[in-house]
Amino acid sequence: MAAVDTETPTSESPADCDRSVDPRTVAVWRWSTLAAFAPAAAVLTVVAAALSLERLPAAPLVWVVWLLVLTAAAVAAWRYPPARYRHLGYRVDGTGITIRQGVVWRTQSSLPKVRIQHTDVSQGPLQRRYGVATLKLYTAGSRFTRTELPGLEHSEAVALRDRLQRQGHGDAV
Amino acid sequence: MPSESAAATAEDFRPERRLHASSWLFGTASYLKSFLVPLIAAAVIGSSREFALWAPVTVIVPLIAAALWRQWVYRYGFSQHGLVIHEGLFFRNVRTIDYGRIENVDTERGLLHRALGVAEVRVETSTGGSAEARIRVLDLAAVEDMRARIFERDRPAASAHDAAPSADAAEREETLLELPPAELVRFGLIDNRGMLVVAAIMGVLAQSGVFENANEWAAPLLARLPLDAVAAFGVAAQILLALTLAAALIVSTRVLSILLAFAMLFDFRLTRANGDLRTRYGLLTRISMTLRRRRIQAVHQTATLLHRLFRRVSLKVDLAGGLTAENEARQRGAQQHFRDLWLAPLVRPENAEALIRVALPQARVAGLDWQKLAPRARWRIFRVLSLSWLIAASVPAVWWTGWWAAALLPAALPLFWLHASLYVRYTGWALHEGFFALRRGWLTRRLSVTPRNRIQSVHIGSSPFDRRYRMARLDVDIAGVSAVTHRFCVPYLDRRDAERLAAELVASRQTQ
Repeated sequence: MAAVDTETPTSESPADCDRSVDPRTVAVWRWSTLAAFAPAAAVLTVVAAALSLERLPAAPLVWVVWLLVLTAAAVAAWRYPPARYRHLGYRVDGTGITIRQGVVWRTQSSLPKVRIQHTDVSQGPLQRRYGVATLKLYTAGSRFTRTELPGLEHSEAVALRDRLQRQGHGDAV
Repeated sequence: MPSESAAATAEDFRPERRLHASSWLFGTASYLKSFLVPLIAAAVIGSSREFALWAPVTVIVPLIAAALWRQWVYRYGFSQHGLVIHEGLFFRNVRTIDYGRIENVDTERGLLHRALGVAEVRVETSTGGSAEARIRVLDLAAVEDMRARIFERDRPAASAHDAAPSADAAEREETLLELPPAELVRFGLIDNRGMLVVAAIMGVLAQSGVFENANEWAAPLLARLPLDAVAAFGVAAQILLALTLAAALIVSTRVLSILLAFAMLFDFRLTRANGDLRTRYGLLTRISMTLRRRRIQAVHQTATLLHRLFRRVSLKVDLAGGLTAENEARQRGAQQHFRDLWLAPLVRPENAEALIRVALPQARVAGLDWQKLAPRARWRIFRVLSLSWLIAASVPAVWWTGWWAAALLPAALPLFWLHASLYVRYTGWALHEGFFALRRGWLTRRLSVTPRNRIQSVHIGSSPFDRRYRMARLDVDIAGVSAVTHRFCVPYLDRRDAERLAAELVASRQTQ
C-alpha cells in the first residue's frame, strides 16, 4: 500500500526527456492495479462474509480491514497511474534513447543505439484493448540487460523500434 | 576465397582426427564426479550388505562402456571455415565453429592429465556461458597444433586493426609477469582463503548434524580433559591459554591459505603472444587461459589493507562472454566453471600501470583527473551511520547495562565521521579521452577502468533521500561484470554531475 503516499509534490518535469507516452496507458495501469488487488479483496470478502454469518466477534474488524483494502485499491488505482504517467518520459536522438521513469525511486536509463542487441514490442491483453504496447530493449550488459518503455501507442512503439534498430549494427560487445 | 566451393567442401568435410587413446578414462572420471556423492552415499549406507560392493561396479561398467563408445565415435578436424566436431552416441551431432568466432582455446590439466601428457581443451566463442566445445582429451602436441591452426587462420582478418605483429613475433611469447614462491606466500597471507575453507568445513559439519549430537561424542572427550587443572591456573593463565588458542587458529588458517595459494597459483605466468594475453597457473590442476584483448571489458585493481601492508595490488579482468550473473543463474544446473580471471594475482603498484595498459591500451590509472562526490556526501554518510547506530544500539544498551551506557553511545560518532571522511576522499570517478575510471572505498580500495567504447548503458537512480540531498547514483553497465563488488556504480553524486556524466558516457565515441 505504498502506492498511496507516493504523491510526492514534485512537479519538476524532466527537462530533456520531454516525449510522453500514450495517455491511454493510464487506464491500462488503473485496471491492472485493480486486478492486482482483486484476489486479496475476494479472499477478504469471503472471510468477512463467513465470519459475519457465524456472528463471530472478529467480523467487524475484518470488515474494517476489507474497507481499508478497498479504499487503498481505489486510491492506488485512481491516483498512482497519473503520477506514473507524468514521471515517464523519453528522448530519442542521434546516439540513442534516454528513458526517465519512477515516482518514488526514479531512474534515468541511457542506451546508445549501437548497444541495442535486440528489441521486443509486447502487448498484454489490457494493453491490446487500449492500443498501447511496451518496448523492451536488450543490451549485452550484465546488470541492466533489459530496459523497458511501457505505455507507447503500438504503432509508435514499432516505429521507435525500427528507428533504434536501423543503425544499430555496431560491434557485438 | 572462393566461397561457393568452400561452402561445398565445408558440407562434405569429414573430420578425421581422433581423441587421445586415454580419453575414456577422463570421460568416465567426469561422469563419476557427478555420481560421486550418490555412490559414496550408497557405499556407506549399504555397507552392511553384500549388495554395497556391487552397486558401484554396476554403475561404473556401463559408464566405461559409454565413454569408450564416445571416444570411438568422436572425430574432429579443421575444415576451411572452422573447427568441425562429429560426436554422439545415438544422436549424431555435427558442430562447426567458425575460426573467426573462436575466442579462446583454453586447457585444463589435472594430475592424471599431466601423468599421461594430455589436456582437456575448451573452445570458447564470445557467446558467453559455457564453452562451445569441450574436447576431452588431446595430447599436448595436438593442442598446440589446434591452437596454431585456429589462430593462424584468424590472424590475417584480425590483425587488420590489431597492430599486426610480424611473423616471428607470433612465435615468440613475452613473459610479462611471474609469481615466485615468495609472492605466493604473500598472496596466501593476503588472500586468506584458508578461513573460507575452515568456514565451509564448519558449515558442512553443521549441516551433517555433528553439532546437534555433540553431547554424545564431546562429553566423554571433555571429561577426559584436565579441566580441573586449567581451572586451577587462575584467570591470567586462562586468558593466556585462550589467546594462544586464538593465535594458533589464526596461524593455522594463514598456513592453510598459503598452501591453497600454492595449489591454485603455483608457477603463475602471464605472457603475451600475438597481442593476446595468456595466463597459466596451478600446481595440481594446471590451467591455461587466453585473454583475448578485444574481449577484455574492464580491469579491476584491488588493494586491501593487507595488500598495502605488503605493497602489492591484485588485478583482474572482465571478459565479454564470461559468465554474467544472469547466465550464471540460468545455467546453475549445468556443470559450470567460473574462476577469477587474473591478470595479476599480486603485483607491485608501480608495475600495475604497465599491465593495465597491456590489457587496455587506451587506459591508464596514474595521474587521473579524479572528480569528487557531491559536497554533502560526507555529511550524509555520517548522518545515516550515526542515526542507524543510535537507533539500533540504544535500546539494547540501555536494556542490558543501564542508563550510563547511553552516554557512551556517542563515543562511536567520531569513528563514523572518520569513515565518512575517508570514504569521500578515496571515492571518485575520472573521465578521459578513451576510458572511464572509478575508485571506491578506503579500507579496501578498488579501482576499475573500462574503455568508453565498452559501455553498454548508463543508469541514474535517485531515491527520495537522494533527492533531498540533490544527489543521484550512477550505474555504468558493461558486458561481463562478474562479481557484485566490481560494479561500476557511483553513489552520492551531485545530480547535475551525474546527468552530465551520463550524457557524455553515452554520447561519445560509441563507435570505434
